[in-house]
Amino acid sequence: MISLRTTVLLVAAVALGSGPSYGQTYDGPRTPDGRPDLSGIWQVLGSAAWDLEAHNAQDGIPAGFSVVDGGTIPYTADALNQRDRNRANRLTDDPVRRCYLPGVPRITYMPWPFRIVQTPDHLVLSYEYAHALRIVYTDGSPHPLPNDFWMGDSRGHWEGDALVIDTTHFNGQTWLDASGNHHSNELHVVERLTPVTPYHINYEVTLEDPQTYTRPWTMRMPIYKRMEEGLRLLDYDCVDHLLNALVEDGEAR
Amino acid sequence: MTETTTKRRSLLIGVALGLLLSPYAATAQGFDPAKTPWGDPDLRGHYLPGPYQALETPTSEWTPPEGTNRGQGAAFSRFFEPDPDAPARPRPARPDGPTIIDPPTGQVPFQPWAAEQRNEIMARQEQLEHLDPRVKCLPAAFPRAHLPVGYNTYQIEQGPGFVLMLYEWNHHSRYIPLDGSEHIDPALRLGMGDSRGRWDGNTLVVETRNFTDNTWPVGHGAPPEGAPGSALTTGHGVFHSGNLRVVEEFTFLDADTIQYTATLEDPEVFSQPWTLRYNALQRAPEDHMLFEYACHEGNGRNLSLMTGTAVEAGRVHPIP
Repeated sequence: MISLRTTVLLVAAVALGSGPSYGQTYDGPRTPDGRPDLSGIWQVLGSAAWDLEAHNAQDGIPAGFSVVDGGTIPYTADALNQRDRNRANRLTDDPVRRCYLPGVPRITYMPWPFRIVQTPDHLVLSYEYAHALRIVYTDGSPHPLPNDFWMGDSRGHWEGDALVIDTTHFNGQTWLDASGNHHSNELHVVERLTPVTPYHINYEVTLEDPQTYTRPWTMRMPIYKRMEEGLRLLDYDCVDHLLNALVEDGEAR
Repeated sequence: MTETTTKRRSLLIGVALGLLLSPYAATAQGFDPAKTPWGDPDLRGHYLPGPYQALETPTSEWTPPEGTNRGQGAAFSRFFEPDPDAPARPRPARPDGPTIIDPPTGQVPFQPWAAEQRNEIMARQEQLEHLDPRVKCLPAAFPRAHLPVGYNTYQIEQGPGFVLMLYEWNHHSRYIPLDGSEHIDPALRLGMGDSRGRWDGNTLVVETRNFTDNTWPVGHGAPPEGAPGSALTTGHGVFHSGNLRVVEEFTFLDADTIQYTATLEDPEVFSQPWTLRYNALQRAPEDHMLFEYACHEGNGRNLSLMTGTAVEAGRVHPIP
């Protein structure tokens, strides 16, 4: 027999696990055209940048829960072997260690802030890390020429209060984290940014890549508003640091 | 406050007054540009760089190699030539005179030691420490980010209280608050500096400081082989200290052309503030978009040659 108290706890647990606890309606600032106003400086907290899956702490790296629905990324057998090779050689093979642009969605959850400037037909996302830029068109335009890009090509639209960004045209040379999780140039990323309060956005990303995964899979995490007064993006000029390491420290010999 | 800082501060105040009284402070106010819904002159849109124009008045100390399309400022044409296999052709007509309008000599007013340093830099372009920072994919800084290279275009965003300028070259951007706020802590350094802006009539005035000291504030393309710095009209080898301060003015000459005026002040390197003026921003066609310019990502072989190491070997200290 289940006691009343147990029932209440069960109901509460289900409620907590089933969605945002702040209520379903966004009541934060809006733009003149009625969209949620995402302008400002944002940042993800957590350790997804090191490893999207559950991982224990290592020297200088915090432990973390998995941000992947179901816990693990559904790799094909070959792709899983590649991930393990990447992981074993991550100190030299991670493209970010060579200061290459991190790609999408990795740039979002690296531990640097980014600024969103929003207009009626596009958003500009500028990142402190390596002064990376994304321009997300929300004017209904299609993906462009058959070029490929480190950061892909991003086209967005609004579904109610959620900004949905469709990104394709990747070059296949980026990783998803510092632990060797990877994808091919067939990657198709759909990010869903649902503002819940003025201070946080639910960030949900579905990745599809038949060359690498057995099925589409989803990661999710909050993006938080940086509230410090007078805050602005500073510099992390990766290339500058790399040049110093190459020339002065001779690390790469 | 030490005596030195007092002196420096007096100097800075003097320079600032000089800038205010400069004949270049207000020009081209005749054209009345479109306004944003919140009433500011509307800079929003896409722009291409303006035509080639020499930075400095040429000196006669050096003659370009014969039979080449290189010479004083010629390197620029390599990047502007749409077909790299096409035979050399005359470059577009230059507007009269150099880009530098003050001092009247049209030369960068280096202090004597700094002029020597510039020649040293240009004579040792094979050494990594002297190489054009832009070739190393370091930031362009200012005014260089607004001087012409064939592979840079611009996008300007604007909202109440800010202007955001995007630069295709090496995906740089700068957010310019217009809210009267102070510059950030002098201890903090940025490759593109810390910019604050204000409106002077229809002119956007931007002051930028907090620069790093490892960029060149002017320059185009690549220098002609063997050319001494003093012979160049490309602005190459012009270095600066961390005390560089740049005041820029953006003024519409007509609906499609923005005149750009920049005054550079660096008491450690230059003998006086100096000013260049250039029609730097030409409105782009309707369908223009910024493409990804991944500079460093394609620069591995250059870096390997320059450093004698392999970028592909990576680094061993953890970065996330």
